Amino acid sequence: MRRWAHRTHLAGLLVFAASACGTEGKRPAPAGAVTVTDDLGRVVTLATPAHRIVSLSPAATELVFALGAGARLVGRTTWCDYPPAALAVPSVGDGLSPNIEAVVARRPDLVLVYRSPLDQAATAQLAGLGIPAVVLEQDRLEQVGRAARVVGVLAGRERAGDSLAAALAALVARPLPPARVRVAFVVWDTPPVVIGGGSYLDQLATLAGATNVFHDVGAASASVGLETIATRDPDVIAVPRDTARGEVIPPAFIRRPEWQAIRAIRARRLVYLRGSIFSWPGPRAEQAADQLRQLLAEAGR
Amino acid sequence: MDHELILAVRDVTYRYPGAVDDALAGVSLEVGAGELHAVLGPNGSGKTTLIRVALGTIEPRHGAATILGRPAQAWAPRELARVVGVVTQREDNLFPQRVRDTVSLGRYARLPRWGAESGADRAAVDRALARCDAQHLAARWVWTLSGGEYQRVRLARALAQEPRLLVLDEPTANLDLRHEMQLFELVRALVERDGLAVVLVTHHVNLAARFADRLLLLADGRPVGSGTPAAVLTPESVARVFDWPVAVASFDGRPQVTPQRQPKDDP
Amino acid sequence: MKGLALCVAAVVAVLLAIVLGPTHIPLADLATSDVVRSLRLPRAILAFLVGGALALSGAGLQALVRNPLADPSLLGISGGAGLGAVVAIALHVTNPWAVPLAAFAGALGAMALVYRLGIVGRGGVGLDSATLLLAGVAVGAFAAAITTAIVSLSDATQLRNAQLWLWGGLSGASWETVGLLCAYAPLPVVALLASARSLDVLALGEEPARHLGVAVSPLKRRVYVAASLLTAAAVAVSGVIGFVGLVVPHAMRLLWGHRHRPLFPAAFVGGGALLALSDTVARVAVAPRELPVGIVTALVGVPVFVLLLRRWTTS
Repeated sequence: MRRWAHRTHLAGLLVFAASACGTEGKRPAPAGAVTVTDDLGRVVTLATPAHRIVSLSPAATELVFALGAGARLVGRTTWCDYPPAALAVPSVGDGLSPNIEAVVARRPDLVLVYRSPLDQAATAQLAGLGIPAVVLEQDRLEQVGRAARVVGVLAGRERAGDSLAAALAALVARPLPPARVRVAFVVWDTPPVVIGGGSYLDQLATLAGATNVFHDVGAASASVGLETIATRDPDVIAVPRDTARGEVIPPAFIRRPEWQAIRAIRARRLVYLRGSIFSWPGPRAEQAADQLRQLLAEAGR
Repeated sequence: MDHELILAVRDVTYRYPGAVDDALAGVSLEVGAGELHAVLGPNGSGKTTLIRVALGTIEPRHGAATILGRPAQAWAPRELARVVGVVTQREDNLFPQRVRDTVSLGRYARLPRWGAESGADRAAVDRALARCDAQHLAARWVWTLSGGEYQRVRLARALAQEPRLLVLDEPTANLDLRHEMQLFELVRALVERDGLAVVLVTHHVNLAARFADRLLLLADGRPVGSGTPAAVLTPESVARVFDWPVAVASFDGRPQVTPQRQPKDDP
Repeated sequence: MKGLALCVAAVVAVLLAIVLGPTHIPLADLATSDVVRSLRLPRAILAFLVGGALALSGAGLQALVRNPLADPSLLGISGGAGLGAVVAIALHVTNPWAVPLAAFAGALGAMALVYRLGIVGRGGVGLDSATLLLAGVAVGAFAAAITTAIVSLSDATQLRNAQLWLWGGLSGASWETVGLLCAYAPLPVVALLASARSLDVLALGEEPARHLGVAVSPLKRRVYVAASLLTAAAVAVSGVIGFVGLVVPHAMRLLWGHRHRPLFPAAFVGGGALLALSDTVARVAVAPRELPVGIVTALVGVPVFVLLLRRWTTS
């Protein structure tokens, strides 16, 4: 679903290119122990690979399953809906301001925390309870590989982590297709909020052979004027929708008079981004780019 | 009485909602043009309630109040303000104002809803200011006035209404002797020269006795005496109303009341 | 003279709002530009109307509740509007006008409730100023609490954005919105203008005002209802915009004095000019991004107010 990504956009989180510190700690420690450095630069050591993992972000949940460690997941957030097997894992509530008691009740030996100001306090609380937590940043495609390695090490799936990281690195390094379609991602209408260059969707657009007309806006999302959308004149407007299945209800704003100043709205060249595949960067990135390319091609016709 | 009858309150009784006692019972008051009628009594004796009944603000349980022969409650606020001017005990101005502006508010009831002040309105304001010897104050801010000046300005505002009846509620409460006398002389002149009817609510027995044509003495909402000062102000009636022994002597042909010292009990 | 200067300032503000924007449009093309005709022009006019309505309501309410801090948003209207908007979003009504209409209905509901609570005394005729203010704050807080409860218990993305709607600003401007406001606003505006002189008298207090010929209770009812109707419409088309209703009336009082006859029109024109100017700044300052206009009204309004206040207190 779009919800998670959307909330993180609105929280105005800054995106850090955390591709540095490539020295994922695999230092020799006591036999069987594993050590990593998380995205806050904290060194975390587990005596043995984790067997009871609680994930506080849907992106991390997807990663755990993708690495073949789904059986070790004992807690997830209400937003985690992929893969479908994740739904069988007990929910501990909202990931952004986690309920520590619910987390502790799952008796985890590792908690995966999404990097946001709200989660900093949770990390400290968990540390106070002696529960190891790693903070992962997964807002951009290039951050996923690192996260995959970290989770791979901690979950005893090091090789799977390395190969997923390599696959994603190859995807990022791939020559880009020529940009044929100009797209604007509109996440809200009053005031108009669009997706900017600092976001995963912007990366997906590039991979899908499209240009986000608000690529120059550095933030993940920003409030802009209709006038700016109208003059940047995207070929297609992409709108995230909540409903993953069934009929898409077109948003009401496309029928408002002031939006008719935008050519793509007048021509009803709209695509609806449905499902969590577009919500956060992860193993499905290539699939997401293909889907987006297809959607844009259909709308452009 | 050869004066035109302006205000007539006849045998009114009033009880506040929820109260067990009448605030007024069997009170009458008649005021004619060119007559100054004082309503005297201690605090809580029903003076203010009487005024509210007289002006139709509240409806008596029994009896009736009429202004110019018409029931007081039948007057719309705007009509009434063209006939009756009231100087209340206090007011607090929300915004700073200049004297001339506040006196101009007296013309409110005579202005058309959308129209502006006419020359006649401005002339009436000038006359009212002159009458109260307040022309020189016209450009001053109200808050810079002394207590005596402020009361004169408020009186001028009531005069700008060009009323037939003036109701003054404790107009000299905070004034020193000179300003108090000035104000009473002014009110007396309004009665004699301009033929205004005046109801003066006060607990100043001596000033009322010297300036009023007639007095109404109230105690606990009941009339104790009504008539000329000489007829009403006897040692017995005043002592009863104010609950203090007094002596009454004549000065300038008017009764003047002097409170007695309380006799000390022997040890 | 002052009046002329204010009108010139208003015209300049509206012209700037038409000429300036995130997109550069040469002066020669202004008349033919689609963007100007369908977006900038209605938005400039809407900004002027909304700013005027808020400032006029503020001036009226300050005199009514006898409190210089009274602001249209203080009387529970914003809370009600927010609740209405959230309910409309939650119900997935697909009509493009559903949210503004629901916000308007919510504002009217809050207004009616505050009004009912503000009536004190036997016979239910007196609208008590202090009670009105307290009731406004209470109803506003209650509506905001319900709104927050709905939003935080809901899964839908749209609802989480409902808070954004409240700060929506003037992005919803269109000729239709301008037309609606033009058809709607005259009645409450005229009702307020007609009450101007009575409010001068009411400033002395209720009892003195009554003796000077003011029908106090009908006056208070009229002013409250008219100011609320204006504010409700403003909130419905533009979300909550602070400071205009508070600062502009005071600034105009410093320039025009406290008589409501000249004050009301001055407040309308001044509020319109301030909001038109603020919205231009909001659209242009960080282009291509946009600032919430409420932030700009505070940034522009407060220094102006401080200057006036200083000039006035030193003279």
